[in-house]
Amino acid sequence: MRHLPTHSRSNQGGGGGGKVSNRLDISRRSFIQIVGGVGASLALASFSSLACADLGGAKAAKLKKGVVFAPNAFVKVDPDGLVTVSIIAPDAGQGSRTSLAMLVAEELDVDWHNIRVTQAPTDSAVYGNQGIGGSHTIVSLYQELREIGAATRAMLIAAAAKTWEVDPTTLKTAKGHVISADGKKSVAYGDLTAMAATMPLPTVKAELKKSEAFNLIGKGATRVDNPDVVTGRAKYGLDVKVPGMVYAVVARTPAFGASIKSFDDSATKKVPGVLEVVQIPSGVAVVGTNTWAALSGRQALKIDWEMGSNADLNSAKITEAMKAAVEPHPDMPAGSKSVEASLQFPYLAHATMEPLNAVADVQEGRCTIWTGSQQPTGHQKDVAGLLKIPVEQVTLNVMLLGGGFGRRLYDEYIIDAVNVSKAIKKPVKLMWTREDDMKHDNYRPACFCSFRGAVDGSGNPVGWSHQAIQAGMGGRPSINYDIANASNKGHTVRIGVPTGPWRSVENTLFNVANECFIDELAHASGKDPFEFRRALLKDDRLRKVLEVAAEKSDWSKPLPAGHGRGIACFHGYGSYAAHVIELSIEGNKIRLHKATCVVDCGIAVNPKGVEAQMQGACTDGLSTALRAEITIDKGGVVQDSWTDYRWMTLDAMPKVEVTILQGGDSPGGMGEVGYPSVAPAVANAVFAATGKRVRKFPIKVEELV
Amino acid sequence: MSQFKINVNGSEHSVDVAPDMPLLWVLRDVLDLTGSKFGCGIGACGACTVLLDGSEQQSCQIPVSAVGHRKVTTIEGLSKDGNHPLQRAWIEHDVPQCGYCQAGQIMAGAALLKKNPHPTDADIDDVFASHICRCGTYQRIREAIKAAAGVAK
Ligand code: FES
Ligand code: FES
Repeated sequence: MRHLPTHSRSNQGGGGGGKVSNRLDISRRSFIQIVGGVGASLALASFSSLACADLGGAKAAKLKKGVVFAPNAFVKVDPDGLVTVSIIAPDAGQGSRTSLAMLVAEELDVDWHNIRVTQAPTDSAVYGNQGIGGSHTIVSLYQELREIGAATRAMLIAAAAKTWEVDPTTLKTAKGHVISADGKKSVAYGDLTAMAATMPLPTVKAELKKSEAFNLIGKGATRVDNPDVVTGRAKYGLDVKVPGMVYAVVARTPAFGASIKSFDDSATKKVPGVLEVVQIPSGVAVVGTNTWAALSGRQALKIDWEMGSNADLNSAKITEAMKAAVEPHPDMPAGSKSVEASLQFPYLAHATMEPLNAVADVQEGRCTIWTGSQQPTGHQKDVAGLLKIPVEQVTLNVMLLGGGFGRRLYDEYIIDAVNVSKAIKKPVKLMWTREDDMKHDNYRPACFCSFRGAVDGSGNPVGWSHQAIQAGMGGRPSINYDIANASNKGHTVRIGVPTGPWRSVENTLFNVANECFIDELAHASGKDPFEFRRALLKDDRLRKVLEVAAEKSDWSKPLPAGHGRGIACFHGYGSYAAHVIELSIEGNKIRLHKATCVVDCGIAVNPKGVEAQMQGACTDGLSTALRAEITIDKGGVVQDSWTDYRWMTLDAMPKVEVTILQGGDSPGGMGEVGYPSVAPAVANAVFAATGKRVRKFPIKVEELV
Repeated sequence: MSQFKINVNGSEHSVDVAPDMPLLWVLRDVLDLTGSKFGCGIGACGACTVLLDGSEQQSCQIPVSAVGHRKVTTIEGLSKDGNHPLQRAWIEHDVPQCGYCQAGQIMAGAALLKKNPHPTDADIDDVFASHICRCGTYQRIREAIKAAAGVAK
């Protein structure tokens, strides 16, 4: 079905937004430059916003006078002995500002309370690509940041060796001090900064600690931003205020692909505080002296829309288009018992807690941005391209992100702010309302998964065919189970609804569907769904998380009537996860009792952070299994806000229990691995409780078959 | 525009704004108190929660003209040095992920503990059913409230 019109924005968005697998590469070349060539003169950018894990820590800095030792663009040691780490990965809640600083602190041998972090300036010449996506932050920086910490430590040791006139190889470090071989002499890093700054930069890499010697990695630390968050000092994009700044909101299209025929702003201009009304590519921007004036002015706008080619598009037609793209499944082996099933998924919005926003100040030949971005270097380039100025003339200050989940890989909101600032020649804070955000996302695609499988007389699976038809994006499913001649196909139908990566991307669909269908095969074979999976899993680490999930959830213990347990697992991003959900059903209401979550991410750099990611991903899994969906009518999104895009709330949450295993000796990604096995565990638990299967997400008891 | 006198975190402020401007935007845009967050503007998420004479109030849902003499407390004014038992429990239990919803959660918790120093799980459920945390920090929110309830006066 290719007849449904394609929206011009398609999947591209801006800033290479569609690329999820961007790595935070500090290339070999630039690393050596950092360690070996930049020199102590390289001052770190703005240290105005330091964060520290201790309450009141940032202001406890005594600011002792003296030389600041800044051997590279990532670390500086000041005469107080405080160490500041520049964080190149935006923090959207995944804790990169904490875990990356831990890597440096570990090798540098500094106490956690003496660590400060600052967000690095957006500068690919110094830092390489700065972006977060594909659960790559820790994976790609694990080695490099430890090397940087170790190189800095080596210079401090060299400084002490010179002062004491001893061989540097005899010296040790601990808790921010260099210590002599006999343990009798000790000097604080803060007292070595002047000497260290005169030391030659190391030309060979310092040796890294063995994991047995770790003090921080694997032990955990509380977030550096906590004290600022709990006191209201933390600064997100929406909290920025610069001199002369005005406020803007944009009236946006009611349907994808709609355009403005004409608009009447006479009532808008009478609203007190409204300053200007300007048309920009995304709609009509209303500028005011404050947010409320801009919102009230937008309310008073009258716009005549050309509804465009999607005006008749709705969810039923999209489902029909996806179903029509399903091809005949292969025949199953003769004599086997064949099973057929389908699963339907809705579009999902990212709905970051902080609605999209940016402050832009466009001036002649340059531009300054303050925003939350998952792709600062990409978005900086987009702004430079839009304004036709060199990228060095775009300063992009990365603020805290009130959530990302893939949404802030795109930069329409930054582009909006730049367009308005350029038009009105003033710094502007441009905000998307919750409704703007809900209706103008790059959605997790809707999808229709069709299955045929078979089991033989002894209950062994002998056939598997999966076709996943996505309304946007792309990709082909695969399976973790050993089934001969398994067929996995992916198709995409192009629909006029923009789509994009959403926490774990295609795995939100393919793995969820696989884990539901393997459950159906288990049932058809008369076997326990845990044992059935265990026997078929090809990967030892995946089998292990599954076994631990079964054990921790008391899988084999009987449950009261009306209760059910479901199990599912996932492998991706270098990590492994399994979930067991226990629930009960009363009437049409599903009550969640317990979520058992098990993850193996190799080395858990910050176990508290790993646990938080598992808890958060579990909440996402439950929300999208049971509540949230985006539907389309008249070419636009039906849902407006949290009232009809319903997320889990605390009162509905089960007890969430997280177990962390270490099945490898390097870190795996954690941002996404905890999502894809939650929803299928819910669906399988619903079957266990009712004997009826889920064919459509979010799950509604009255729709079970 | 009209003049309004409001008491925020113990200080009197005089603001010249539209009477229908929600307290949230007065706090954020006029008084530069950005700790209270905008999450929806329709009373559906709780990110904007402040205390009004000690009770929970969504600041996006009350126009400045309706505040009157009641005392407004925002996250910035909850304690002097960030030492409210909930703030300390929040740090210790490492509750925040992105952190954006947390001011609202803490203020709701503060109102709850004031009324009910030893809340049960059901009491906590009642209050937090109207607070969204998109990052899913619910488990730790519950733990932190219970921990703080042990020390809250
Ligand atoms: S912003 Fe007030 S409840 Fe959401
Ligand atoms: S911590 Fe991100 S929304 Fe609650």
